Formats: sequence, C-alpha cells, structure tokens
Amino acid sequence: MSILEIKNLSKSFDLKDKHEINVLLDVNFSVQKGECFVIIGPNGSGKTTLLRILGLLENPTGGTIFFNDKAITGLSAKDKVKFRRKFSYVRQKPVVRNVSVFNNVAYGLKIRGMRYRDYTEKVNAIIETVGLKGMEKKNARALSGGEMQRVAIAMNFVISPELYLLDEVSANLDQLNHKLLDDFIIKIKQDKTKTIIICTHDRFEAIKYADRIGVLTNGTISQIGTPEEVFTSPKDEFTAHFVGYENIFTGIARVDMESGLTSIKMDDFCIVTSEHKEGPVKLYIHPESIIIAKNPPENVSSLNLFKGIVEEVRELGNTCHVIIKCESSTFLSTITKVSLIKLDLHPNSEIYINFKATDVKCL
Amino acid sequence: MFEEIIEGILEALHLIFTFDLEIWNVIGVSFRVSLTSTFLAALFALPIGSFIGLRTFRGKKELTNLINTFMGFPPVVMGLIIYLLLTRNGPLGSLGLLYSTTAMIVAQFFLALPIITGTTKAAIESIEPDLKETILSLGANEFQLWGELIKHSKKSIIAGFLVAFGQAISEVGAVMIVGGNLRWETRTFTTAIVEQTRRGDFGMAIALGTILIVLAFITNYFLTRMQTKD
Repeated sequence: MSILEIKNLSKSFDLKDKHEINVLLDVNFSVQKGECFVIIGPNGSGKTTLLRILGLLENPTGGTIFFNDKAITGLSAKDKVKFRRKFSYVRQKPVVRNVSVFNNVAYGLKIRGMRYRDYTEKVNAIIETVGLKGMEKKNARALSGGEMQRVAIAMNFVISPELYLLDEVSANLDQLNHKLLDDFIIKIKQDKTKTIIICTHDRFEAIKYADRIGVLTNGTISQIGTPEEVFTSPKDEFTAHFVGYENIFTGIARVDMESGLTSIKMDDFCIVTSEHKEGPVKLYIHPESIIIAKNPPENVSSLNLFKGIVEEVRELGNTCHVIIKCESSTFLSTITKVSLIKLDLHPNSEIYINFKATDVKCL
Repeated sequence: MFEEIIEGILEALHLIFTFDLEIWNVIGVSFRVSLTSTFLAALFALPIGSFIGLRTFRGKKELTNLINTFMGFPPVVMGLIIYLLLTRNGPLGSLGLLYSTTAMIVAQFFLALPIITGTTKAAIESIEPDLKETILSLGANEFQLWGELIKHSKKSIIAGFLVAFGQAISEVGAVMIVGGNLRWETRTFTTAIVEQTRRGDFGMAIALGTILIVLAFITNYFLTRMQTKD
C-alpha cells in the first residue's frame, strides 16, 4: 500500500526581475508504507524544496500529494497542523529552541497535549539514547554543533511519527553521531509501520539506507529503482555521471575464523571480503576493480573468481562498460577500448571475472 | 545654580520621607497613568505586532510605514486629537472624560501602541525562519507557534515596552492638554515641573525631576532584570 503518492508536483519561484525559476518540474513517485525511499541528487537539484513541500512547510505551484489516499495539498492552516503531527522533518542544520535540552526534546509531545508525568520517562530515555544524559537542564543553544544535532534528532524522533523526512541529516555529523543516526534509522526500518524519506547527495548513504532510490536531477525524478538498478544501469548520462557506477549486492556475511576473512553468501555464490562483518550486509565493488579474462586465470591472488557470460557491451569513447551475467547476478566492469579489442568481447562470450577481497566494500 | 540643585535634591528627600501627600499623589497619578497605558497598549500591540510580523499580505509595507511614522508621533498633536474628540462639543464629548486620568491613559495608549507594535513586529520578523519552521514541523498550531515566538523575542519586546513606558512617564504635552494639570487629580511629575518652573519654584521643580529620574531608574532596573533573566 502506498502511503505517499506525489503526482505532477511542480514548484516555481518568482524572482525579483519578474523571471520565474522552476525548481521542481512534474515530479511523480509513490512511497510504500514501511519503505525507506532515498532521494538522491546533486546540490541545487530541488531536494530540499521537495522535502519542504512534503513536510507541508511550502506550497507547491502545481500537482497533488496524497497521504494515505487523502490530498494534503492546499490544506487550511488547521488541517496542515493535523498532518504535520504525523510527520517529522529533520533538517540539515539543526535548530533548537532557546530552552533546556529536556524542554526541547519534550516540546513535540507537550504541544500534542501530553502531560509532564506522561512524557518525562520517554524524553529522558531518548536523551540517554542520544548520549546527552546529564545535560537535560543545559540550554540547548549552548551545546556544540554535534550535540545540538543530537538534540534535534531526539526531539524529532521522540514523537514517533508515521513519516520521517530527513534532509541531508548526516552531512555534518562526525563518526559518533553518524553511528547514532545509523542505529536510529535501522531501528525505524525494522518497524514496518514507519516510512522514511531521506534526501542526500551521498551515494553511499543512498545505497546503505535505501529500499528504493529516486534520482532527482534538474527538478525532475529521472529514475526510480532499487540501489542495484540505479547504480548498475543509470537511465541517462546525467544520472550516470552523478551517481557513478557501482556493483551492489546484498547477502549474509560470516567471518571465517581461520582466514580472518568474511565470506558473504548470496543467492548462488559467495563473495569474499577483507572487511569484518556479520549478518545481512550490502556490498559494493567498483567496476574498475573487476578484471576480465578470456581463460581461467592462473596464479592470481584474487579470492573472488567467477565464470560468466557477456550480456552487453557499451562503448563510451575510450572506455567500455561490460555487463556480465554470473549465475543470477549481474556485474559491471569498466575496461579500456584497447582491452575490449584484445579480449575480443561480444555478447554471449564466455569469460572469467576476478577481483580482490580488499576491493569488496561493505556498508 | 549649583546650590539650587543641591537644595532641590534635599527637598526631594525631605518631601519623600515626610510623606508629603501631594508629592505621593503626583507619583501615584504619574505611575498609574503611564503603567496602565503602556500595559494596555502592550495587550493590543503584542497580537497586532506579531500578526503583522508573521503574515504576508497586501499593504503590509504601507502598514509598516504607517506604524513607523506613528512611533515618532508628536505627543502634543496626539493630545490635541484626543482633546478634540473628548471636548464637550466633540464626538465623544458626552462621555465627560476630558481632564481625567482616563483621558490621559487614552492619549498615552495611542502613543505607546505603535512603539510596542513596531518593536514586536520587528522582533518577530527577525527570528530566523528556520526556527519558525522547526516549531511548525514539530506539530505546533498557530497559537502555539505564536506563544513560542513571543517567548523567544521576550528581550526585544521588553525593550519596546521600556521605550514606550519611558516616553509615557516623561511625556508632558499630551497629558497637559487632556489632563489639564488639575491639582490632586491629573497632575503628573512633568506637568507639575512645568507648573513649578513657571511659578519660579525651582527647588520644588528640581525635587520633582530628581524623584522622576530615580523612580524611572528603579522601574527600568526591574524591567531590565526581567529582560536579562533566563
């Protein structure tokens, strides 16, 4: 069931010299309940405007947004409040009120009519989770940037909304805060009644969190698909240029005590990585790291060696993309034009691919 | 001259500590009129000022210009307008309010209103839009947002209140015209000083001036403490 449906959404701003600037043009997509939908796009592509419109902080110029099949565009101020209370909008730059940490975090619950004795426990618990225990009485504006971001996360997450709108939230986070946000997002993702929309320009973040990715370029969604689809077959040149190419897979990781390496079990084969991981992981291999050989290579150090069939060859000037099918998975390898001629690759050619365990990165 | 000042200050102390009834009456009238008018003005100015500050509407710029003009409105002219309205043959003459403290409160109310409205509007407008949006996105309704923004601009609003109160207590033209400087009834510090100076009783005039300054200082001290307290 789709919780959010965006139809023909557009937004333009009037500039002072009477010129109109179109920030969003005919944006269409829908988000399923329980899904983590990541909108990826370069700076200035309209991500923040889109998220602000979804958060009912800005009115679109045209188009409609449906939340649970109800149109939420063009609402009265009173109705907007009703829907905003189901959402949570975390911005890139944290903004806190000039009151204590506790009061900042409690604010959303307080204005929903909750009593002090009913929210105290909840607020204190989340303050502890974000690592600010002992700072409850401190003025939130006197905190460091990272601590302030943690207050912002706590105050937006404590209200436990149906829809989370996160705008480049990890852009300014240090490692500790990144981990904290990760834990929160993983927890929210487990709750299938909660839906997350994340805007980011960081492709690795998109791969890590997304169930599906929407690529926003020049104010329109140019492609929607799973991370695997978007990163191995970008729809147009611009998307390809922006997202880059990656081989993305999901599997279950297990550390082999003897070798100290991790083997990741996928549907019909295993990939070995030097990173230590356990449990379900997403992994990516850069296309330039995948080496193609006509015959089974001998004396190579690569731990990952697979037999496959060339599915497609895309020539891109000096370089070529070779799409290779190994069992049920598809790999993308970037090679030079010279190599292509030397290897004499055509669709349906039988080849071998290999890559080093150190080239397999886990997210 | 110097001697006269010293004499005036000593007389001031004498008048206060001997509980001179007339002096205390003047103090009472001055403070009652100025505080009442400023508080009443604030009661109206806070919602008006924040409404103008929060909303965008046609004619906002013109309205802002009007408020700014009225912030520096000559009190004497305000006194004249209220006088013409309240005089026996005026449109509100039947109310019989001329030469009463009520008339003085009305005149000072209209002088204070644009000052507090203007400062409230500016304070609300100067709040970073991000904060407004954060409060809204956390689920606040318009009234809750308003309360939060007023709390946030407390300092500027108190500053506006102080300016308005300062103007009211030191104002002479309007209260003179509509109050009539009636002894025991509508005589304030400022009108009393005018009266004493005209009579050549400089000692009393200086005494009144000194008390006015000290009391204004004490009032401002407490309001400023309120302003800086977090």
